[in-house]
Amino acid sequence: MPRSALLTQAARPLYWLMLAAAVWILLRGHNAPGGGFIGGLVAVAGSSLLAITLGPAVARRLQPLAPLPLAMSGVGLALLAGLAGVATGMPFLTHVWTDMGLSTVMLFDVGVFLAVWGALTGYVFALLDNGRQTP
Amino acid sequence: MSHGSHTETHGPTYLWLAAVPLTLFLLLAWGLARYDLPWRGEVSWIPSLGVSLAFRIDGLSAQMLALITGIGTWIFVYASGYLAHEPRRGQLFAILILFMLAMIGAVTADNLVVLFLFWELTSITSFLLVGFNHEQASARAAARQALLITMGGGLALLGGLVLLGQMAGSWTLSGIVAAGPALVDDPRLPYALPLVLLGAFTKSAQFPFHFWLPNAMSAPTPVSAYLHSATMVKLGIYLMARLDPAFNDLLFWEVMLIGTGTVTAVWAAVLALRERDLKRILARSTVSALGTLTLLIGLPSPGAGLAVVAFLFAHALYKAPLFMVAGNIDHATGTRNIDHLMGLRRAMPLTAAAAVLAGLSMAGLPLSFGFVAKDAISIAKSEAEVLLLVSYATVFVNAIAVAVAGVAAIRVFWGPPESPRGQVHEVSWRMFVPPLAIVLLGIEFDFFPALADPLLLAAARTISPELGAVDLSAAYDLNVLLSATGMTAVVGLLFFLTWDRLHHALHRLHWLDRFGPAALYESLLNALTRIAAWQTRLLQHGRLSGYMRLTFLALLAMGAYIWLHTDSRVVLQWNWSTHAWAWIVACLLIVTGAGAALLLRDRLGVLMASGLVGYGSAVLFLFAGAPDLAFTQFAVETVLVVVAASVLPRYGRAVSRREPWRWVNGVLAVAAGAGTFLLLAHLQGLPVNTELADGFGRMSLPEAHGHNVVNVIIVDFRALDTLGEIVVVAFSLLAALPLLGGIRKGRTS
Repeated sequence: MPRSALLTQAARPLYWLMLAAAVWILLRGHNAPGGGFIGGLVAVAGSSLLAITLGPAVARRLQPLAPLPLAMSGVGLALLAGLAGVATGMPFLTHVWTDMGLSTVMLFDVGVFLAVWGALTGYVFALLDNGRQTP
Repeated sequence: MSHGSHTETHGPTYLWLAAVPLTLFLLLAWGLARYDLPWRGEVSWIPSLGVSLAFRIDGLSAQMLALITGIGTWIFVYASGYLAHEPRRGQLFAILILFMLAMIGAVTADNLVVLFLFWELTSITSFLLVGFNHEQASARAAARQALLITMGGGLALLGGLVLLGQMAGSWTLSGIVAAGPALVDDPRLPYALPLVLLGAFTKSAQFPFHFWLPNAMSAPTPVSAYLHSATMVKLGIYLMARLDPAFNDLLFWEVMLIGTGTVTAVWAAVLALRERDLKRILARSTVSALGTLTLLIGLPSPGAGLAVVAFLFAHALYKAPLFMVAGNIDHATGTRNIDHLMGLRRAMPLTAAAAVLAGLSMAGLPLSFGFVAKDAISIAKSEAEVLLLVSYATVFVNAIAVAVAGVAAIRVFWGPPESPRGQVHEVSWRMFVPPLAIVLLGIEFDFFPALADPLLLAAARTISPELGAVDLSAAYDLNVLLSATGMTAVVGLLFFLTWDRLHHALHRLHWLDRFGPAALYESLLNALTRIAAWQTRLLQHGRLSGYMRLTFLALLAMGAYIWLHTDSRVVLQWNWSTHAWAWIVACLLIVTGAGAALLLRDRLGVLMASGLVGYGSAVLFLFAGAPDLAFTQFAVETVLVVVAASVLPRYGRAVSRREPWRWVNGVLAVAAGAGTFLLLAHLQGLPVNTELADGFGRMSLPEAHGHNVVNVIIVDFRALDTLGEIVVVAFSLLAALPLLGGIRKGRTS
């Protein structure tokens, strides 16, 4: 497939821009449209753009973890957020709030974000790897 | 198992693990000496469902615990010797410990749900242990068979326990037994009892489920000695014994137990004659003994309880050592076929001694605890005035037991040695001390019954509460000795001497195997895989248009059903609201996209067009009060189109328009679209319960501190669902990665 020079040049800045948008969507989610699922999807779009233009290897390098560990750390984080309630003597997944407005809700939503980002980029990268090796 | 090699593999022998059951055993003994039974304990677990971790230890539980931990101690010692050459022994010990804990839980649980959980846990650990040598196809098949049969019975048991719990209004075993007589007239009893008995019969290998136990002998010998003779297979017996006080007077109970027990005992005894493998012979005789136990529980006399616990005890004390003896012979000679085994007593004197003493007990001869048990059994039968047929059956079964004892204890050890001296030699101390120790314990109980009496009497009273003070040792009676023991010994001797001739006579009946329950199991299993393959070919054909046709047809059928079964006042009207222009744009997007997808021939173009449909729906969501949904829809649609566009060109650009069924598909698509429109209009006229939505909306800010109700539902109110979803998303990648990697490998090679 012929590559567009414009897209290749723009891919990295666009990736960081989309990632920033994704995090912004994630953080505003509790009070305005947004949240971990949608934020995660936007991040997936950014990673996909990078993977398609510069190759999955580059996109992998710019993720904090490999896709599968990323997804699993998201699940782990969500579990951890649920256990915080248990530690204070309440049922599993009862959320705990601090005075400053921070809470385990955010931890949970970050877990959702990471799980979606990791799992879907895992699919995208693997599919692209398959596509690349056919003549 | 590696035979002949005497270099032990490196690493720990895990002998110290025997300290675990030993500690538990000593704790039990200390507790029994100090505190009166029963002991209770309860921890709240799921209060909303009435499930609490309720445990209750009475005489019967204590007896089972003594067997599990006492015999368990010696099993662990034995296993550390037997598995010295097994590199994966750590794994086996881990499962053995888990099994032991599950067994302890099962015999002490008072709550029905807790009992069921531990019951199933013993089935699962048994599966893992039977299939331990998983490189062998036979071991895998045996493990699957044991699992399917005991778990199938477990399901029936669950149904039965739930019914019993509802009938008695109590979710504890003790509550059900206490409510016993009142349950007899309940109309649900004819369903509850067969289900419970199905669970007990499958677990304890009663006819017609007897065939899994001999096959389970593909497990390593310590496992066979522990699970499949001394403990797990007694779980069904335990449950029947525990429920017996409640249902003893019921004719159904009596007939089922005595009938099934007798058939099992006799048929398994006959089948024992057909085997040549020492371990399988012992397994058949175990099934026979389990049948006898079932029969004894069914007897209505008060002495029956005593007979059950005495025989249960005696059987564990002689059968576990005999299995260990079979394992020692296998270890030393490399075979368990009795045709190739002779004169082993010179080479393996200590194993031979253990075999003879265990054989004495199995034959019910004096000087052994088996004799005491036999005695208790004949007393119970004379009290109960059982059918003559049942009496003859037990004489026959006991005679075969004598013959089996002869084969295991005398035939293989006496006579001229088969192989030259020096080739076969005694096994390590960790393998001959355990059988000797358990057997000597049995003999000690014969001389000093006072040691075991209190425990056995306490156990017997839980089965037969009306049982008075009995002294087991005082039950010796010359008449009983001559009539019962003497006769079975003589007949048994005859069976023993004619073993080979009987074997050959029975072997000619191999055509019978085609009709047995084992053959039925096989054909059912084969039918299951055939049906699965057939329905997969039918439904999972991999053609997208086929899937869509089915989906649309189902949609239409459901819509028609709702249309016909609900009464709705449909008022269709055009509402020129403020967002009207947005609706029009959305509809235009969708219609344009759909039309373009239909007309375009370029694959990429079709993809873009379908993306347009998605964007159109997102616009709809945006103005219908679901901005989150719209947001997600935009993101999903974009990612999907971008990723698909980067992969698609490999399949060529043009879409084929000469698809079969094209016109049918078109008609179906239009029908589905029109049907969905009508259905939605119809639903508009139905009353909607908005309680849930209103509730979530009201609670969002005060309870969860969030203005965005959708997000609050996702991360807080229904967080468990979300957790489940992300677990599925993440684990689907785990499953897909090897497949995608496999595609890659297949291409490059």
